[in-house]
Amino acid sequence: MQTARKQDPQTLVAAVHGATKQYPGVLALDDVDFGIRRGEVRALLGKNGAGKSTLIRLLTGATVPDSGDVTIDGASLTGSGTQRTVEAARLGVRAVYQELSLVVGMSIAENLFLGRWPSSMGVLSHGEMEDQARETLARLGLKLDPRRRVATLSPAERQLVEIARVMIGEPKLVILDEPTSSLAAAEVELLFKAVRSLAAAGIAVIYVSHRMSEIRQIAEAATVMRDGKVAGTVELAGADTAEIIRLMLGRSGQEDWLVGEARGGATVLSVRGLAVPPKLAGVSFDLRCGEVLGFAGLLGSGRTELLRAIGGLDAVRVGTVLLDEKDITRGSYGERVKSGIGMTPESRKEDGIMPLLGVDENTVATDFSKVAVSGVISTSRMAEAAGDIIRRIGIKTARIDTPVGTLSGGNQQKVVIGRWVYAGSRILLLDEPTRGVDVEAKSQIYAIIRQLAEQGKSIIFVSSEIEELPKVCDRVLVLKDGCFVQEFVAPGIETDALMAACL
Amino acid sequence: MSVTTTTPDRRRGFRLLALDMNEIGLIVILLLLYFGFGATTNGFLSANNHLSLLRDAASIAIAAWAVTLIIIAGEIDVSVGPMVAFTSVCLAFMLKADVNVALAILAALAIGGALGTFAGSLRAYFGVPSFVATLGLWSALRGMSFFTTNALPVTFPDNAFLDILADNMFGIPTSAIVMLVLFAIFSFVSQKTAYGRSIFAVGGNANAAELCGINVARIRVLIFTTSGVMAALAGVLLTARLGSGNAGTASGLEFDVIAAVVIGGTALSGGRGSMLGTLLGVFVITLIGNGLVLRGINPFFQEVVRGVIIVAAVLANILVTRYRERRIFGAC
Repeated sequence: MQTARKQDPQTLVAAVHGATKQYPGVLALDDVDFGIRRGEVRALLGKNGAGKSTLIRLLTGATVPDSGDVTIDGASLTGSGTQRTVEAARLGVRAVYQELSLVVGMSIAENLFLGRWPSSMGVLSHGEMEDQARETLARLGLKLDPRRRVATLSPAERQLVEIARVMIGEPKLVILDEPTSSLAAAEVELLFKAVRSLAAAGIAVIYVSHRMSEIRQIAEAATVMRDGKVAGTVELAGADTAEIIRLMLGRSGQEDWLVGEARGGATVLSVRGLAVPPKLAGVSFDLRCGEVLGFAGLLGSGRTELLRAIGGLDAVRVGTVLLDEKDITRGSYGERVKSGIGMTPESRKEDGIMPLLGVDENTVATDFSKVAVSGVISTSRMAEAAGDIIRRIGIKTARIDTPVGTLSGGNQQKVVIGRWVYAGSRILLLDEPTRGVDVEAKSQIYAIIRQLAEQGKSIIFVSSEIEELPKVCDRVLVLKDGCFVQEFVAPGIETDALMAACL
Repeated sequence: MSVTTTTPDRRRGFRLLALDMNEIGLIVILLLLYFGFGATTNGFLSANNHLSLLRDAASIAIAAWAVTLIIIAGEIDVSVGPMVAFTSVCLAFMLKADVNVALAILAALAIGGALGTFAGSLRAYFGVPSFVATLGLWSALRGMSFFTTNALPVTFPDNAFLDILADNMFGIPTSAIVMLVLFAIFSFVSQKTAYGRSIFAVGGNANAAELCGINVARIRVLIFTTSGVMAALAGVLLTARLGSGNAGTASGLEFDVIAAVVIGGTALSGGRGSMLGTLLGVFVITLIGNGLVLRGINPFFQEVVRGVIIVAAVLANILVTRYRERRIFGAC
């Protein structure tokens, strides 16, 4: 690569140059240039699938670009496979992901040195380990005893221990992936302090987040990605949020709304003052008959917690849930299912499907009694019931008893929704129903949701993909800092405005 | 919907005779064992030995039906042997005290059911791993049996009904008939009832089953209740055959039972398995045990062979599962 560097390589800690990465069916990165200086905190923004993760994976060496190169501290990454990640780590790249990776039964010190415990002649030297850990924690301004077990720490403290861990060795670049998504607002300040110490020590920080208020406090500039390209890098001091939103969304324009006029009949479900500490401070709303109600909000805004509380999966301690004006706040999940509430989980694979069972049994599992004749499951009734759902929802399956695990993600999701249609649920709580499904399946799922609403079902649709909410929802409520901050009503819900309300 | 779909086939039936690869393999192994021992071992093919084979099979199989359900649900029960011994001792004490035989048998089954329910509740409501809960029972029940009997057989007066259980009906051991009737019932329940299918659902993905509204805790308790009752029934049949209650009886039975289930292709990780597989597994275990005895192999060495067979069966099970998953679910 003989191309002249645009910026002085001496000051750049990490640089990506002309990187392109093609995955089957998607161009994840398209000729991307990216650079970050010593001691800089850079925010990285972009919608799902914009290419943020791929860019991070390039920097950590987890992904090799098809073309272009990655330079860390002046040295090009050359290896492949695990060698490349080792190389990147040696050059000083560290990443902290959303899922914490601490061993909760061990002490803070042991976690900081996980797998690389200092030892002499095969015996761990706890004293040395604790001294070094104490020093590292102090560098971040943390007052934690390194001998404390991680199990006794709060989520924020655990997050800080994760950050302390990346300080071991000589980090040059630290990548934080949505570090505040699992934190309550009050805990965020602790994290900021740690990030500022990192920057003060000359370490470059890439801060992936969409919370504008946080980004403005912590970062100087923001790089916005869109469709595998860098849409722009803006100085935060001079940029307003609208400009960043424009960069994130592009000039896609408003297309194919499935909703004309907002509709909805009588109130079926009514939530008053529901609080789930520390995520939800008290929310109230009404769900009307035949309405699709969207919940928008950033990762960690409490969407899933709210849905679980409404569905009765987590006990509701503050607030009330009324179904047809009847108080069901204290009722169990099972009772809510019986009274016509159905819920589809966010993680289809872990909580949604029973992979070895057929489409038919996955469908009728919500109510075996409907296909049973005096306690015995009737093969023909089950085939009929499942066949009916397969046709109505448009599930593509070779046979009626094909194991669900072999279907595509979109079709699995249709089965998970279909089982509640089969059960005759009136209220559907759909948590990220389009996560991880392809574009075609997405639009099919939108159509299914609209059709169910037209049949009089009431649907709560939770999505982290802002653009899909205006397409299907009659109404969208925006969740932020534990409260609903704004309501949008169809027609004409603008994605930009919705996004602005979320950030 | 705007989507057009080809109407899928309807192929689910009562899949008793739809054999899969594992079951065909087992039948081949059974035939090899049968004709192998038949050709080389004196007395193996005699009518008497066949009756003895059936009786031995019954003592494993009756408990194995219930343990199949437990393993399909992703759990394990290691308490079968001591449960059999304990209920056998209980029954013998009751008969010795002249309790009505029908009442005594029902009481023995109830004791087994209650103990199983206890283990299942520990699992379902307190999250005690089922291995630990049943291991506790394993130790406590064996100890209790020896403690109450001083390791001496508990004898009781002759009993006409128990004699029928110990004897043959239509030239077939009564216990084998009980085994086959229960086989039919368990096959049916596991394939055609909400309870049976819920067990598969819980074993396949307990979270998803819970979200479907299936009462996962109840299923987890019930399978252990069932297992306790079945072990007690095996205890009743054994007591009838021995004519006394013995604290040391059915030693190591749990291993034969688990081995039979696993050999039969039930996945230890849960979610998959069949009664037919277990039936074949029971016969494999029984044939090997019987053949070794007839060939006069040292009884201590027989234990070694049993250990090797169990580990080999589990290994084969895991390899088959892995292969199958790769084939069904592709690379993901």
